[in-house]
Amino acid sequence: MRLLVVEDESLLRQQLVLGLQKAGFVVDDAADGKAGLFQALEYEYDAAIIDLGLPLLDGISVIRKLREAGRKYPVLILTARGDWQDKVAGLDAGADDYVVKPFRLEEIQARLNALLRRAAGFASPQITAGPISLDTSSKRVTVHGNPVELTAYEYKTLEYLILHIDQVVSKAELTDHLYAQDYDRDSNVLEVFIRRLRQKLDPDESLQPIDTVRGQGYRLRVMD
Amino acid sequence: MSSGQQAGYSLQTRLLLAVTLVLTVFLGLTGFVLDSAFRNSLETGVTEQLQAQLYGLLAAVDEDAGEFYISENLREPRFSQLNSGLYGLISSPDQGELLRTPSALEFTLPAAPLTDNPEGELSRGETRFSRVVSDVGQIEYFEISYAVTWENRPQAIVFKVLESADSYLAEVTEFRTSLFSWFGALAALLLVSLLLLLRWGLSPLRRLARDLALIESGHAESLGHHYPSELSSVTQNLNLLIQSERKQQTRYRTTLGDLAHSLKTPLAVIQGEVSASAEQSLRHEERIERLAMVQEQLDRMNQIISYQLQRAVRSGTVGSLASQVNIKDTAAKICRALEKVYASKSVEFGQQIDARLLFLGDERDLMELLGNLLDNACKYGHGKVNISCALVSDSAQRLQLIVEDNGTGIGQEDCDRVLQRGVRLDTLAQGQGIGLAVVADIVQSYGGKISVERSQMLGGAAISILLGNIRLQG
Repeated sequence: MRLLVVEDESLLRQQLVLGLQKAGFVVDDAADGKAGLFQALEYEYDAAIIDLGLPLLDGISVIRKLREAGRKYPVLILTARGDWQDKVAGLDAGADDYVVKPFRLEEIQARLNALLRRAAGFASPQITAGPISLDTSSKRVTVHGNPVELTAYEYKTLEYLILHIDQVVSKAELTDHLYAQDYDRDSNVLEVFIRRLRQKLDPDESLQPIDTVRGQGYRLRVMD
Repeated sequence: MSSGQQAGYSLQTRLLLAVTLVLTVFLGLTGFVLDSAFRNSLETGVTEQLQAQLYGLLAAVDEDAGEFYISENLREPRFSQLNSGLYGLISSPDQGELLRTPSALEFTLPAAPLTDNPEGELSRGETRFSRVVSDVGQIEYFEISYAVTWENRPQAIVFKVLESADSYLAEVTEFRTSLFSWFGALAALLLVSLLLLLRWGLSPLRRLARDLALIESGHAESLGHHYPSELSSVTQNLNLLIQSERKQQTRYRTTLGDLAHSLKTPLAVIQGEVSASAEQSLRHEERIERLAMVQEQLDRMNQIISYQLQRAVRSGTVGSLASQVNIKDTAAKICRALEKVYASKSVEFGQQIDARLLFLGDERDLMELLGNLLDNACKYGHGKVNISCALVSDSAQRLQLIVEDNGTGIGQEDCDRVLQRGVRLDTLAQGQGIGLAVVADIVQSYGGKISVERSQMLGGAAISILLGNIRLQG
């Protein structure tokens, strides 16, 4: 999942970026409203975290312009004042949720997960695709009720596919949303992850959950 | 104040200048009209008099063998008295002067008429009236000329009577002198009385300035109540403003004091934990435990700061200075926002609010109040929230606002604790949200009442609020 963090307080921004990276997100950051808006329009993100009090261009304007430009990904606002006027203004401008400063990273993660799930059309943190079940809050995966141990990258790959179930996801898209920008796109690491995922989810090859669509990418099948 | 020059004149100076100008124009015009009317009537009198003199002369003159002579005694003695100022002359265009009255024997006929009379000869039977100035001594005369046909003379004979304008001019001068001295006295009287009226009329304003100066210097608390009705609404509002400013100041001071005080406890705990954690011998689990304690205190501090900040920011303005906020619009805005935040719960909002209801107070206060109540209802309810507003039947000026949900509700013992008004947060229980405490504080500052009940409609909690600061639009 690729995130954009727009926050002018550099210590807080670093904390956020590091914490979210540790939680498995790919994170871009910007220190002011103008740079934030540029990035937000330039790249296709899965979600953005935007502080309301930003230099050069305030958070509410960034969100409004973002929505005017047709970007639909969820936006989480950070507000220091925490009064309802601020919150309502931000949500009215097009944000989807708010977190009041100071916050714990866990709270941000929980809100983000909920937003990402909602954006993909799932209401509960428990997402299932046939016998495969994935819990976005505990990041645990089971097949037929049996837990499956996945590495962080394998989990991220599966989560992205399951949130886009029955859609063909190109390798480029997967790479963009799962790995930092400097990742070597030509390497075949992605194929390795997919292969390992298939082995772990379906050791006896009875489910065949992930299709390879030749020349286009991968697709998680809808299973009964 | 658009221009410093204009702002420099006092009200009194402005009024005086304006009135002086108006008075000058008014009296000047009146004087002019009166003066010309007086002169007109005087001139008419003079003309009639001259005409009578002319006819008298005409009757007294006779001709014998081409010689004109005064046949009988002239009725007007001034014709007979030398240089009396009244002169009679008879002439004909072909023979020149034919006769002078005795008064005019030394008289030099003025050449130029003063008023622009039609030139040329008089036709028979015509009378001409004019003003002339003599070449010698520049004396002004009224002149009347009359052309008559005399028995068998082919040419018309012109009778001319001149009278010195001295008495006329003296009369005019006298009239003018008395007119202008009366007008001057009148204007002075008007201006003096206006000045007195102004001083009397503007005295409340001067008193207001004095009172304000007293407040500024700290010698008075508020403006007095003895102002005239035109000013009393201003002074009442000023008093309100001063009071609300004072209240705000007090609130800031208490908030700051409360804040500092209530932050000291968690700070002391953290201090203790930090020094304890510095010990080398500490086991890993113990250290984790102490860190958790620090985190707990940090949360507490955060809660305290948010609560006190919200308390300080609130205006609590009541009365005629307060703005009017539409309750329905504000509630709808907040519901829309909360629908997003609680999208995963897909909360159903019921809203029964009269669109004409206005909250007299700060919009932020209303938002805080409704935001906290609706947020709690969304958080603790199971997907159903209702907000309703109704005027209480016994008086039209009180409003009951109820926010209810279908959650488990609030226990009786919790209600009392949660609603303790003005409770300092460091005395509140751990982990308790500040939402309701903030709401209770706002309601209290507007003189309202808050109570926690069980919802009849949805079965969960129902927070009921009575507010007096409302108005029905239209």
